[in-house]
Amino acid sequence: MENVQLKKQLAGEYPFGFHDDVKNVYEFKKGLDEDVVRKISKIKNEPEWMLTRRLDALKIFQSKPTPTWGADLSHIDFDDIIYYVRPTDKPARSWDDVPEKMKQTFEKLGIPEAERKFLAGAGAQYDSESVYHKLREDLEKQGVVFLDMDSGLREHEDIVKKYFGSVIPSSDNKFAALNTAVWSGGSFLYVPKGVHVEVPLQAYFRINTKNMGQFERTLIIAEPGSSVHYLEGCFTAGTPIQTIEGTKPIENVTADDHVFTHKNRFRKVKRTQVRPYSGKLYKITYFGDSTQQIEATNEHPFWAVRRKKSEYTNTEWKPEWVAAEKLDPHDYLGIPINREVRTEEYRSFIVKAYNAKKRNFEPKHIVLKTDMDFFRLIGYYLAEGTVTGDHYVHFTFNVKEREYIEDVKALCEKYLGKKPLEMAEYNHGISLILCSTDAARVFSKQFGKHAAYKRVPHWVMEEAPEKQAKLVKGFWRGDGNYLSARYSSGFKNVFRMNTISEKLARQIRDMLLRNDILAGLNRWKRTGNRKDAYAVHIGGKYVDDFSKMVGTNEEVANEPGVKALMFNRQGTRASFGQIVGNYAFVPIRSIETREVENSSVYNFSVDEDESYVAGGVAVHNCSSPTYTSDSLHSAVVEIIALEGSRVQYTTIQNWYSDVYNLVTKRAKAYKDATMFWLDGNIGSKVTMKYPSVLLMEPGARGEVVSVALAGKGQHQDAGAKIFHLASNTSSLITSKSISKDGGRTTYRGKVYVSPTATNVKSNVECDALILDEKSASDTVPYMEIQSDDVSISHEASVSKLDSEKLFYLQSRGLSEEKAKQLLVQGFIEPFVKKLPMEYAVELNRLVDMEMEGSVG
Amino acid sequence: MAISLNAHQDTLEVRNLHASVENKKVLNGVSLTLRSSEVHALMGPNGSGKTTLSAVIAGHPKYVVEKGDILLNGESILNWTPEKRAQAGLFLAFQYPAEVPGVSVSNFLRTAYNQLQPKERQMPVFKFAAMLDEKMKDLQMPSAFAERYLNDGFSGGEKKRCEILQMSILSPKIALMDETDSGLDIDALRVVAEGTNQLIRRTGLGVLLVTHYPRILHYVKPDFVHLFVQGRIVKTGGMDLAEELEKTGYGQLEAPVADAPEPAEKAAKKTKAKQPA
Repeated sequence: MENVQLKKQLAGEYPFGFHDDVKNVYEFKKGLDEDVVRKISKIKNEPEWMLTRRLDALKIFQSKPTPTWGADLSHIDFDDIIYYVRPTDKPARSWDDVPEKMKQTFEKLGIPEAERKFLAGAGAQYDSESVYHKLREDLEKQGVVFLDMDSGLREHEDIVKKYFGSVIPSSDNKFAALNTAVWSGGSFLYVPKGVHVEVPLQAYFRINTKNMGQFERTLIIAEPGSSVHYLEGCFTAGTPIQTIEGTKPIENVTADDHVFTHKNRFRKVKRTQVRPYSGKLYKITYFGDSTQQIEATNEHPFWAVRRKKSEYTNTEWKPEWVAAEKLDPHDYLGIPINREVRTEEYRSFIVKAYNAKKRNFEPKHIVLKTDMDFFRLIGYYLAEGTVTGDHYVHFTFNVKEREYIEDVKALCEKYLGKKPLEMAEYNHGISLILCSTDAARVFSKQFGKHAAYKRVPHWVMEEAPEKQAKLVKGFWRGDGNYLSARYSSGFKNVFRMNTISEKLARQIRDMLLRNDILAGLNRWKRTGNRKDAYAVHIGGKYVDDFSKMVGTNEEVANEPGVKALMFNRQGTRASFGQIVGNYAFVPIRSIETREVENSSVYNFSVDEDESYVAGGVAVHNCSSPTYTSDSLHSAVVEIIALEGSRVQYTTIQNWYSDVYNLVTKRAKAYKDATMFWLDGNIGSKVTMKYPSVLLMEPGARGEVVSVALAGKGQHQDAGAKIFHLASNTSSLITSKSISKDGGRTTYRGKVYVSPTATNVKSNVECDALILDEKSASDTVPYMEIQSDDVSISHEASVSKLDSEKLFYLQSRGLSEEKAKQLLVQGFIEPFVKKLPMEYAVELNRLVDMEMEGSVG
Repeated sequence: MAISLNAHQDTLEVRNLHASVENKKVLNGVSLTLRSSEVHALMGPNGSGKTTLSAVIAGHPKYVVEKGDILLNGESILNWTPEKRAQAGLFLAFQYPAEVPGVSVSNFLRTAYNQLQPKERQMPVFKFAAMLDEKMKDLQMPSAFAERYLNDGFSGGEKKRCEILQMSILSPKIALMDETDSGLDIDALRVVAEGTNQLIRRTGLGVLLVTHYPRILHYVKPDFVHLFVQGRIVKTGGMDLAEELEKTGYGQLEAPVADAPEPAEKAAKKTKAKQPA
């Protein structure tokens, strides 16, 4: 069927392009032949010369054997790869060009504003093409061209034709040939004469479709006297969110919000992202909170504990990041518990107070003692209180609850300076009315005016757990009950508290978590037009702790027989989940999948921790997509730095651990130009990458700084090549590599000095750090010096982790793991300090995570 | 005014401690009890095992404890990792602190400080920087010091000051100061001594001051002076003992020890001990 369609298209029967209804996903079959290449070129509507280059390159690719001199590439099956995927109709450059439907989503997510801030100058490579590409207007005015490569070819054919393949010809190596044959996407950057681009230009790369190679092609031309810094990185997808102000729907989360992370703390959102996604979405529900479900992309990592044996409760609880697609029902998801405690004996509240003289409202400070008993009063208010008319605080109790009525009276007098009036019994109810404008304003502002809007402010959520226990006690007295039912299997005993405020229900649940009590949350529909209600229920092994907390006295068990059951239960009682340390672990109830096409998915980048609580559980903002099978990333980057220009190209690569990352990067630096490659390799199964600089004319300078970290099953074969082809040229290569858990690093470098080049300086320094006995590192430096007038230095060091340094750090209280992290951080510091701040933080975090062994 | 905020008394007790390194016996039955606010000077000739004693107490994995016990507040810490000992309030000021290039003093100290604090007392970067700055002023260190790499390229004196800086930030209960005075000029010595005295006064720090010169004892006044020869304490006294040693030297004191090794072996030992710890 597809073939028929294809033949028709190739025969020109269909006007090329995509119809609005056909959601423009055009996936190729696996494998590579001339047809595939022609098809790619045809879809892109390329000029003939490009097709010719592609076809020539294909022949070279087919004729060259897979290299065997470096890392093991024998497992790559070139027939098992999809060579082209096209996600959207056209790459968009200005806001107006973005498809309407996507624009609506962008708008819904508040992106237009973010777009101006963050997407300025960012080309995003999703699957094989840039879907969204916006250039800052002032850059455009300066004549800077920053486009996806396809548009670059279309709009600036003459420049592309001149430089494409001029630095890296197809014949260079098998993978450069492959890229040339099937390239798609990537960036085209042109910086005119004398223009200095101050902001680093960024592009985010990722691989979406399984088994799809990523063959982006980047071409950067810096005209004389210009400068530019290009950053390459990768980010991903996510869902909904716990923030410092309570739970927020995703569309309301913006940069600078504070979200709760897997490290049990709030951290700032650096930016939000949205992207189209085609593939499987995983819908996950879990026990203990029927109000939540999370939908995530296949690779999205969850903070989870794998269940060891399906029939048993785990005995070990070490959470790790697990991709959604690798989760099984009954695995446990982690709910991070906020253990932050900020306790104050007194707090000051600001209310507006009417100034009769000035006839206006002025702020007034009210200081209240916020101790244990006050928290009980808050609990009563949350359950039974309302504020009416801005002046009155009401409490309503059952006539039988005399003890509570007296308690509330005394508490009001103690804290609010006034006893409430007790109204006459009405319908078995007793109302207490406190006539206090200040109290009414404090209570309505802090805790909500009516039942549906009840909640507690953040300071209550971070108060001492003991105080929160008192709040829960007061709340339970008002809105709680105790259920006991007899089943053939035994008794079911549950404490339950009800509220129609979802936010409050969640907050009560969280306060209980802080008291090491795991409660479940349920939503139930009520009859008629009434709002849904939420129940916080405590059962199983947490019943005892809860009954201690609320103090089960006579009144609790006002139904006959209940009291007896409450204190005379027998046998051990299981719970659905488990609190271990700073997490509550709850088992997954169900996982469903569905296929989507071009559905918008979103994500945040979060300060330091790069994780957030979505749908109640911790998920990660992963830096790289994950895969279930091997895939290939084979990019080509060509840079032309003309006279007196400066180009910096920065990469932090964190591909998932089954990606072959085989990239050819090379620059030509002309008279007095400087080329600087900054290259970090953390992920991937195999990396082979040697950023190179050809120093073409006198005064040219090349610098390559790289860092590689190889963990279990990884081989990072990286380095640099410098060719001194002219006099008065200099180069500097700094390489740092770390191997651990059986990982292997190789430094492979080459310095060449041509016979005619004089006054050449070159400095090579490569340091390898090996963290354990299983890991290895080797150094393969080539020097080919054909001139006499050179100053070359080469220093290589291989070191094991120094036990004296380790002891020194441990003797200051750092765990062995933390001490190792710090030593590794120190080791790569020369690399990190050259990165822009944000990348430096990101890299350190990635390295820390690798060191924790929690990734991959 | 000597006001101790630390009402709780901490006790470090070393009981008949025997230890060896690479099958060579270094400690031959050391017994010592050190309490909060007390200063014990441990004096002895080179190679007598002073440095070993402080390293063993701090939990260096290189040494094997063959006999005896180390107790902190009555609990044996022999099986504790070095970090657990530090977390319990032990601090070792190294004679030769390790150099950690790439890790700034401030980054390291903040990490260490936060590791030792309960969650609610952990400090964010700026708050910590302010505290660090203040402590550095007390020790007459320029604020640029905080951004230098830990001990990397420090002069001998700078390293020692840095150890005291760490001690004052981490605020331990018991400090083992291993030849902190060596390599310090007289002004630096005064500053370091003053820093130590403040900690003793303010926090009730107990100090084991390992030295072979009595010089520092004029600034940090010891409550007890122990003479340490060939892996054990052979004599305990007050400041008078230190003064006596200043006059007579260690030479004749080595004689009374029964199982003194052969001179050749002794010399070998000395060179060994001079290696950085």
